[in-house]
Amino acid sequence: MPSFEKIEYKPIPVRELLREMKNLSELMIDLAYSAALFNDRELAEDVLELERRMDTLAYQLEMVTMVAVRDAEDAEALVGVSKVAAAADKISDAAADIAAIVTQNIGVHPIVSEIFERVEERLIKVKVQENSILVGKEIGALELVPRMGVDIIAIYREKDWIINPKGKEKICAGDILIARGASEGLKELKELCEGKRDELEG
Amino acid sequence: MSKRSQKKFEEIVKRFVELKDTSELMIDLAYSALLLNSRELAEEVQRLEEYMDKLHTEFELQVLSSGFKKEEAKSFLGLIRLGVVTEKIADAAAQIAEVVLRGVEPHMVLKLAIEEADETITYVQVTEKSSLVNKPLKDTKIPEETGMWVLAIKRGEKCIRPKPDTKIQVGDVLIASGYAEGEEDLKKLAAP
Repeated sequence: MPSFEKIEYKPIPVRELLREMKNLSELMIDLAYSAALFNDRELAEDVLELERRMDTLAYQLEMVTMVAVRDAEDAEALVGVSKVAAAADKISDAAADIAAIVTQNIGVHPIVSEIFERVEERLIKVKVQENSILVGKEIGALELVPRMGVDIIAIYREKDWIINPKGKEKICAGDILIARGASEGLKELKELCEGKRDELEG
Repeated sequence: MSKRSQKKFEEIVKRFVELKDTSELMIDLAYSALLLNSRELAEEVQRLEEYMDKLHTEFELQVLSSGFKKEEAKSFLGLIRLGVVTEKIADAAAQIAEVVLRGVEPHMVLKLAIEEADETITYVQVTEKSSLVNKPLKDTKIPEETGMWVLAIKRGEKCIRPKPDTKIQVGDVLIASGYAEGEEDLKKLAAP
């Protein structure tokens, strides 16, 4: 049995809750497909953890909108918000279903992964070591997309996720980066993070 | 593995990639429909939902008739489940689009949460004379030159989620969003 976080009302702006739900659902889908197609159990477990976070957010958003509605007009204005939140929640459920293919040892046929690798971009998860030259650098300044065709889609830092990090975000030692892109570029990024490579190409 | 079964797998994966791409495209379009309060885009999402149903059935039939061995059953179950998930994602997208079709004015909160600054949506058909023809999207520099972002490409019955190496063809309808002033520039580029 999974443990459930006790729900308490918190006055968080609807905008923030909804934005996080939307971003989280999209990240979860990317992680989940990568987990299933490349049979990555660790990624699959991350997805299931994020799903629990999503559920908590969904509860909070529902409570905040309940408190905000005073009359019929408010209800009409906010029904769209609650429908979109429900859709984001559904997407995260779908991601959890994908992750379950891995955690329940069902798996997909290895040939499928092989073919898939040729047509789709991969995701990697890599920890930034203290001796990496990336430490302290702003993501935008690294120009990873034009240089090596990779994109950092999320950072896991101190038990918190930063989704779609902005260009100004600085990379810290101990960060876990989730990146997407061409396999050559990802290999390079991994070496940079692990302090095995000291310069950016290009 | 025999050549025949390799080919069979290629077909199944191809169909699955189409399901996956279509479902993700639907999500993108649904959020854009909401942001721009565009019935046209929302209707496109609903149409794609029907297309998904058809595609999903074909995919399932293809998997089930692939003549897998008993010991392979589990990994084929994995594939079937992946297909079901794309359908679920498509449902969620249709649900978002429905908000627009029901005439719910998008609340300011929704716009802020979606975090994109798009103002307008435009449809433009690529003509023979266009310099875009046969170019992969990444070489067209559409965002740099027009400020518009191609959300989707309609090609006949299909709606394609653009990837950097997607080649533009004559007759493609580009669905793009961005600032209003980019609209004319995109038209000049696609239909000179």
